[in-house]
Amino acid sequence: MRILALESSARAASVAVVEDGTFLAQYYQAKGLTHSRTLMVMAENILRDMEFTLADMDAIAVAAGPGSFTGIRIGVSAAKGLAWGGNLKICPVSTLEAMANQCYDNSVILCPVMDARRGQIYNAQFRREGERLLRLCPDRAISLEELMAEAKRSDAPFYFVGDGSALCMDAFSRAGIPALLAPENIRLQSAYGVAKAAMGVTPVDGTEVEPRYLRLSQAERERLEKLSTQNKDK
Amino acid sequence: MQYHTFSEAETTRRGAEFVKQLKPGAVVAFYGDLGAGKTAFIRGMVRGLGLDDYVTSPTFTIVNEYLGPVPVFHFDMYRLGGADELFDIGWEDYIAREGICCVEWSENVEGAFPEDTVRVSIRKLSESERLIDIDMPEVAK
Repeated sequence: MRILALESSARAASVAVVEDGTFLAQYYQAKGLTHSRTLMVMAENILRDMEFTLADMDAIAVAAGPGSFTGIRIGVSAAKGLAWGGNLKICPVSTLEAMANQCYDNSVILCPVMDARRGQIYNAQFRREGERLLRLCPDRAISLEELMAEAKRSDAPFYFVGDGSALCMDAFSRAGIPALLAPENIRLQSAYGVAKAAMGVTPVDGTEVEPRYLRLSQAERERLEKLSTQNKDK
Repeated sequence: MQYHTFSEAETTRRGAEFVKQLKPGAVVAFYGDLGAGKTAFIRGMVRGLGLDDYVTSPTFTIVNEYLGPVPVFHFDMYRLGGADELFDIGWEDYIAREGICCVEWSENVEGAFPEDTVRVSIRKLSESERLIDIDMPEVAK
């Protein structure tokens, strides 16, 4: 099965082509240019450079959330457009699960984290068992405090991947909780991770795909923020 | 900080002066009645950054972008039901773009402003006179 994968959930934009689990190509850029100008151009270029057409693809994979409002929207819209025009189905995946797919350490809890601002992060947890990736909890938005509490109760150290990594490493270091940081070359989102995560997903019709933002309501965000300030004062 | 202006043109000039005190990433919340001069002041801010864009109230567009080396994102929150709808207009992404965010009808989204938000209140003293009160939090300077 040949998959064209798109990733635009944060600052970087990338596209990849994967065939039967084999990684054929990836284009990636993180200059900060607007995804609405770069993503489709990259998709078009990668197909042409690989001497493929859209008709050679079996599905489009895309990171459907969490992530930036604009970034996710651009990715999902691009996927829907390509799927509609190419008569293809879509494999929507979690941005967090895609990042976990980039990591191969069996001795840690894989902990993709994205900065949701004001002391909150998007997070999920996974473990590697050989080649298999096991999900330990659903995608959720939580406070840094809650994450640290979970880490203290855990039997294995957390291994951070994602744009919230530096934020989490900093907080964990100050609290004396051991943690690990993914090396720079796999620390951020990539279409490769999206393609790998898509392998286990049954493709669906484009009309069924929606962004999954994981946003807390304003009231919940304010409550979490208040709790975290109270905890800091203790 | 306070400005006392006697014409719309003067309000605009004060905006152009004021913007020079701001750093990219600043969020400025405006308060004031209809016709107080919020858009006139913001027009000055845009001009002060060297942009000659047509600056108009974003009541229907919700947000106008005036692009340049330091862009200005001009919001009118009148049509929003509350702070919960901010994410859906890309508010977080605008903040991340390191421009200057100017917000009219700030009352609608009060809880969502960052800690270092600058607050500008414009009060009508008479037909052409305005009192512009600016509250710059320490952390914004």
